[in-house]
Amino acid sequence: MDVTAEISQEDGFAGESGAAKIKERLEKRNQARIEDAERRKEEKESQSVAEEKDEFFSKTFSRERVCIEELLSSCSGADRAVVTQRLEEATVKTVQLQKFLNDSVLFLTQYELRQSQAALQKLQASLAETRETALPKKKFAFRARTKAADKVSAPVSDTAQADVATSAPASGEVDGAAASEQCGFSNMDNEFLTKTSEEIQKRDVLLTHLSNCKVRLVGSPSTLHLKHIDSCEILCGPVSSSVFVDHCRNSTLSFPCQQLRTHNTKDTQVYLHVTSRAIIEDCHGVSFAPFSWSYPTLEEDFSVSGLDKDRNNWTQVDDFNWLAAGTPSPNWTVIPEPDRKTNWDP
Amino acid sequence: MGLLTILKKMKQKEREMRLLMLGLDNAGKTTILKKFNGEDVSTISPTLGFNIKTLEHRGFKLNIWDVGGQKSLRSYWRNYFESTDGLVWVVDSADRLRLEDCRQELSSLLLEERLAGATLLVFANKQDLPGALSKEAIREALALDEIKSHHWCIIGCSAVTGENLLSGVDWLLDDIAARIFTAD
Repeated sequence: MDVTAEISQEDGFAGESGAAKIKERLEKRNQARIEDAERRKEEKESQSVAEEKDEFFSKTFSRERVCIEELLSSCSGADRAVVTQRLEEATVKTVQLQKFLNDSVLFLTQYELRQSQAALQKLQASLAETRETALPKKKFAFRARTKAADKVSAPVSDTAQADVATSAPASGEVDGAAASEQCGFSNMDNEFLTKTSEEIQKRDVLLTHLSNCKVRLVGSPSTLHLKHIDSCEILCGPVSSSVFVDHCRNSTLSFPCQQLRTHNTKDTQVYLHVTSRAIIEDCHGVSFAPFSWSYPTLEEDFSVSGLDKDRNNWTQVDDFNWLAAGTPSPNWTVIPEPDRKTNWDP
Repeated sequence: MGLLTILKKMKQKEREMRLLMLGLDNAGKTTILKKFNGEDVSTISPTLGFNIKTLEHRGFKLNIWDVGGQKSLRSYWRNYFESTDGLVWVVDSADRLRLEDCRQELSSLLLEERLAGATLLVFANKQDLPGALSKEAIREALALDEIKSHHWCIIGCSAVTGENLLSGVDWLLDDIAARIFTAD
């Protein structure tokens, strides 16, 4: 608009210098236009962040990815401590990478997103794999993974819990049908019951409705459930995960385990090795002492279970019915040293 | 603050989900949470109270609440119901003796109004144990087929080996996302 106005003005003068002036003004205008374009371009660039560019993303992503892969490949052959540290580092980096990807979701194309997600998943898988090979968790390596999918849906009845494990071959190679049943004892009175390492190793053991029995479970089961136990003495080898006790009274229990959960239990002594925590709920008169039973292959079973022999938190019992901090729960006590049982012969 | 930033903020907010993990004590809730988050599972103690973890998965920000399952804590579960997108019900598949308890607790949860919009994922946990019931048996024992009020799915898993945890959570995310984030 300005231009036409100026031109018409100049037309009015129609001087000799008119043409030259117009040329000059046009040049000036052109210059201004270029500068303006330049300025706008700069402005635009300053607004778009470098981090929101595809190249930046793909470069950073692949750099981090290579870094993690190198970390993982350096794990083979290194010693345990180094491997642990490297795996830790790789885990942290992977998490960061996932976060980076998530933050970048908005400006990535679908294809890139999918590619990166797949790459990340692959990384996570190989991380898990490396961890598995470099630091194998012995305690969860199950031998008999044969529990068939066509297993019958067993009715929930206490009486039906027959002791089928004894019929299993000693090697622990049980066939699908036998493995579908739980292993243990139930409905016994006044008996001396034992199980060997071959019968209970890596299995879930259930003892129910026992009274006046002495039970010796040698070996390392993966879990142990005790329910409706009256006046029994139950000793068990290292349990790799949790022990669950419900409705137990006038009994003596002894085992190492990772967790102990005790419910509705009265007047019971527990000789315990627990690597995380023991809890009681709705219990009364439960007393604790450190695990002291021993048998020839105990060491071996400890290492099979994966439990830390040097960490025993038997004195740290959480009572879910006693949340007052500072005042000790009246529901459990420590057995005084002179009163502790030392002879476990049946 | 440009439009892009605003959009981004909205989108980020939208991609957040709140998952509530419940089940009887000793079901393996905390172990699932820690395993899923890539933490060590060998030092877990029975949960006295609750754990919260915020983690990123498939571009979603997940706030997972793991509340202790002891009998004395169950009455507090309702304090965590508000604005739950997904309910994860964890079952100890080897604990046959308490399956009836488990069924009752679950069915009373599903009557809860504040959980009415939540998707239900049932983890039949501890499938690594030789004595574990199959997920079909758990499905029957918990009468899952009678649930008409919620989207549900049962998945057999093992928290200690990590088997199937991802596929379970992926299903849950897909179902919630399909309901809430129609844009995706």
